[in-house]
Amino acid sequence: MKVRRKRRITNDQPQLEMTPMIDVVFQLLIFFIVTIKQEDIYSMLSASAPAADPNSSPTVQPNVLNIEINKTGFILRGAPVSKALLERRLASIAETDKTVSVVLRCTGDSPHKYLVQTLDICHKLQLTNLAIFSM
Amino acid sequence: MGKVRKVRSAGCDLNMTPMIDVVFQLIIFFVVTMKMTDNVYEDIVLEDGRHGAIVKEMPPQTLIIEVGRRLPFAGGYRISINNAVVSESMLRDILVRRVNKYRNTNFPVLIRADNRVPHREVRRVMSVCTEAGVWKLSFMAIFDHTGKKKGG
Repeated sequence: MKVRRKRRITNDQPQLEMTPMIDVVFQLLIFFIVTIKQEDIYSMLSASAPAADPNSSPTVQPNVLNIEINKTGFILRGAPVSKALLERRLASIAETDKTVSVVLRCTGDSPHKYLVQTLDICHKLQLTNLAIFSM
Repeated sequence: MGKVRKVRSAGCDLNMTPMIDVVFQLIIFFVVTMKMTDNVYEDIVLEDGRHGAIVKEMPPQTLIIEVGRRLPFAGGYRISINNAVVSESMLRDILVRRVNKYRNTNFPVLIRADNRVPHREVRRVMSVCTEAGVWKLSFMAIFDHTGKKKGG
């Protein structure tokens, strides 16, 4: 006996299963939120290295300001000064002459932060004629 | 006459389309702004320097030399480029090759040194640079702490 099969015609639209997609999308979102890391903004402080040889001395120029940087801090014109005082003294010099050559004489044991702090003060005061001399 | 309350048996239908739109927008934003891990020595703590030129897009010729402290058990200091430790002779070779490649010594050299490192370690790098003919050096500092932790 032949049985006739009737085709089922459904009027329903095919349903897209949203749940797994939303699960994945939320997983991705949580991953990105957790792993996002804000970057610091960097600056660069330029200077030149006039003498790499510690035994040699920088050429003597008439308009030169020497700042010594050692393990404990800054020495300006033979006297130890604090960072604030160094900034004030440099500001008074920069008021009269911005073309003064600033030579930063660093001792080997001085922390690098003192050099960066001095360079930063000089850049603030627009003293751009900077040289680093390693002792 | 009393009003007859309509009681709907069907559940509240939440329209998912706007939510999915927003979520996709967020994902696209994160994918686009995501920065893959840089090859930098993460343990370097930089000093603040708010008055230098802001480092935005560095030219491709820029050479960043890192001077950092080793882990406490390893001791000492390390010089590296892209987080790969280099000796002074290797650094000299790299610099000389760059000088020969660009046919000048004006390419930017940025020293990214830890603020606690003694100057003699930075001087080693400076000496190698000057030997290769690179006199103009820049020191990296932090302009603004926008990152989560304070440091470089």
